Amino acid sequence: MIRGAKILKAKKEQVEETELEKILDKAAKLGASYADARYQNYEYELITVENKTLKTYSSRRLSGVGIRAVIKGAVGYASTSDLSPKSLEKTLENAVKAAKSVGGERKPFGKSKVEEAYVKLPIKVNPFDVSPEEKVSLALDANKSAWISDEVKSAMTWLGCSRDVRLFMSSEGARINVETALVGLFHETVAKVNGVMERVPYSESMCAGFEFIKNKDWNSFTADISKLAIEAASSKTPPPGTYPVVVDPRVFGILLHEAFGHASEGDLVSTGESVLQNKIGAKLASDFVTIIDEGTVEGGYFYPFDDEGTKKKKTVIVENGVLKNYILDRESASQLGLESTGNGRAQDFENLPIVRQTNYYMQPKDYNFEELIEDVDFGVYVGGRGTTGGEVEVGMGTFTFGVGPSKIIKNGELAETVRGVVISGLILETLKTIDAVGNDLLIQTSAFGGCGKNGQRASVGTGGPHVRVRKMTVGGR
Amino acid sequence: MEVAEVAVKKALGLGATEVEVYTQKTKNVRVEFDEKIQSLKTTESLGIGLRVALGRKIATCATSILDEKEISEIATRTVKIAKVAPEDPHWKHMNKKFGKSSAQEYYDKALEDLEHKEIIEKLIPAIDLMKNYDKRVKPTRGILNVSTSNVSILNNYSESSERRESNIEVWMRTKAKEANMESTGNEHQEAKFWKETKFEELAEKAAEKAVKFLKAKPVSSGQMAVVIRNQIFANIFGWILNGPITAEWVQKGRSPLANKVGTQIATEDLSIADDGLMPKGWRTKPFDDEGHPTQRTPIIEKGVLKSYIYDNYTAIKDDVESTGNAFRAFYWAGPQPAPTNLILKAGKASPEEIIQDTKKGVFVEETIGEWLSNPVSGNLNATISHGYLIENGELTQPIKGAVISGNFYELLKDGIEVIGNDLRNSAHCYSPTVKFTKLTLAGQE
Repeated sequence: MIRGAKILKAKKEQVEETELEKILDKAAKLGASYADARYQNYEYELITVENKTLKTYSSRRLSGVGIRAVIKGAVGYASTSDLSPKSLEKTLENAVKAAKSVGGERKPFGKSKVEEAYVKLPIKVNPFDVSPEEKVSLALDANKSAWISDEVKSAMTWLGCSRDVRLFMSSEGARINVETALVGLFHETVAKVNGVMERVPYSESMCAGFEFIKNKDWNSFTADISKLAIEAASSKTPPPGTYPVVVDPRVFGILLHEAFGHASEGDLVSTGESVLQNKIGAKLASDFVTIIDEGTVEGGYFYPFDDEGTKKKKTVIVENGVLKNYILDRESASQLGLESTGNGRAQDFENLPIVRQTNYYMQPKDYNFEELIEDVDFGVYVGGRGTTGGEVEVGMGTFTFGVGPSKIIKNGELAETVRGVVISGLILETLKTIDAVGNDLLIQTSAFGGCGKNGQRASVGTGGPHVRVRKMTVGGR
Repeated sequence: MEVAEVAVKKALGLGATEVEVYTQKTKNVRVEFDEKIQSLKTTESLGIGLRVALGRKIATCATSILDEKEISEIATRTVKIAKVAPEDPHWKHMNKKFGKSSAQEYYDKALEDLEHKEIIEKLIPAIDLMKNYDKRVKPTRGILNVSTSNVSILNNYSESSERRESNIEVWMRTKAKEANMESTGNEHQEAKFWKETKFEELAEKAAEKAVKFLKAKPVSSGQMAVVIRNQIFANIFGWILNGPITAEWVQKGRSPLANKVGTQIATEDLSIADDGLMPKGWRTKPFDDEGHPTQRTPIIEKGVLKSYIYDNYTAIKDDVESTGNAFRAFYWAGPQPAPTNLILKAGKASPEEIIQDTKKGVFVEETIGEWLSNPVSGNLNATISHGYLIENGELTQPIKGAVISGNFYELLKDGIEVIGNDLRNSAHCYSPTVKFTKLTLAGQE
């Protein structure tokens, strides 16, 4: 049996604020110029239904404390899931030891306004109070509804629920408590028509209680995905080339997050990895482009404070095409001589906060959908459901994305469906060729994964309005 | 009482017919750096994954909270969930064959005494090398992870099996700038033993690459010889074959390799094995994540498909022995069949000879987006972020931005010209440099 895996009778799942205060006081005595402690309690459930049967029901809980100590500007970190006072003290010592071993003199840790707050996402039904039977039967029903014809070959449905409680305390006196919940349903149908196989994955999630799941008709949700998969499998791939495209907010949002959002992250800017270094004030995009990162927006991930206790307000990154700011944590803000924008985020108590986006989106302007497509003679309307993912080389801004079923635009009107569409380009060129931005706004988050960076995942929100790009390279798979 | 025993006793008491407890304790040291060391982090994590069967109804739960109340609660919850699970008609029983294979050299005991200071002292010369290599280049991001884990597995049929693992991962990135040109260089290594890590060698390559690629140009489309560097092809063939070679994919009708055991699916020069015993292999271990001993399983031998890989459940379904491939991606995930070390057997030619024998072609140094390739259809698709033209047997102009595409399964049959002798890994996939004749290169027209 594993050493240390013995039952810890004295161990608690909760930690008292006074205990963390004591630890932070002790940090100063050990030579830390700054210290913070983060307590987290997290629950996650994922139900997987495959081809009308329950495949797995997995449930996970974690709880622990992470302590960061700064000595002469060097950062040391340690964490534990044993919340006894003795273990917390040992963890602090490990963090101090780690900071000392980094060594060297560096810039002081960035300033931040000291806040005290308790913010709880308003929810009606705690997803963990809902019985396993009810959740399983809902996911099973949704899956069964996807089998609308013999052309459906496989259908997978996932139901995900999470609850996240975080407490942040710092040696400067900050004390932030945030509670949130995230629920959603993910469905994927594989359809085969005349030997052509197409899969369409799509999900909808919300920072809310189980009421979000209960109040939506998931049976027609999955049936619609199957219809789309069949339609896609019956269609052709687009002729490769460079066209004007109108992009659905769900695709444009992900593209913006991956290809531009990451480049605007302060840590990548300060090291020079990003193409946006020294570009504040530069005109990078067309006049129609205004880009925002905001902590709490309708449909997005609920993130009122970051994991350094900084309030996450609305940050304007690009205004009418001009780069105004980066997204920053305290470290990168200090490196760049700016102020933290509240973007220091950690996956969980075992990880250090790093610069992450929150809800990163493009601001709507004034075109309705008909106006966006009416003067396109030949182009592609890039559909929002079924995106399979993409990759970006942040250093050079090259992106490539596999998207879902889309439509050809002919003489200003939507024409036939096309499948297997891949869009690619250079982000700074793409942003310059945006010549119209819609008046709608859709922002989404996901209970299934999230954005990955340096081995940490974070829930984010992405989206915006429909966007028209004059020139985009379109290929087929 | 031990955690696992509490869980087993509780679950059996509530009516479970079988219980399996997977316990993992991991110590991790992580260093992040750019032009200097930025932070050092130490974590100790504990996790328990519980799987119970009530007859043919299965459920899994996990927790990192190890007090008696929580363990008891989690056992109760798992049984409760199993009660609402529908019966799995193929379920017979959990793994009954426990034991250790002859696998060796999968744990570096030296890591137990490795001080932070030693880690930093080995890393700093590599960082300095990237800083001083050339005035146009500097290191922009790097991560070093050094971890050791203890894993224990038991179920109601067995005493617990224990194993120790060590894993070292390092990744570094450089950026070069000159006038308005920018370029990057990336290098990574995954190793089991501290003395096998080669920080300075990686640093020099990453710096050299970024400087060379300042001059990278787009390339025009065409069909020509494509030589893919060992680590990059390891990524590509692993991404495509990881799923299709598992009995799970085959049984679900998702694998294009279904019903092909015994048939020629590739050139005679090609052999691929799943080898859980490989000394110092990234996923080498004495038993799999259900406690079953690991082994070496030939997958493709001289072009002929020999076997799929199995965990306990899929083996029972096919009425064969498990190949010791049960794998848990995390302690909270249930086991599924997955490769241990997936090895494409090396040939005789050195990469230099392969290049010398190529009149006109492209050498692929790094790609992005290879994971957009489709393992089911075999449609291979990857964007070359770093490549070179090969002209008259020499690497010449650096190139970027071209897309290579082709059908993976067709390439296996008649698209491979030479297999190199320079085996190298990208995580658990091992490949030498390989030269292809039937890949299409799509560049700028």
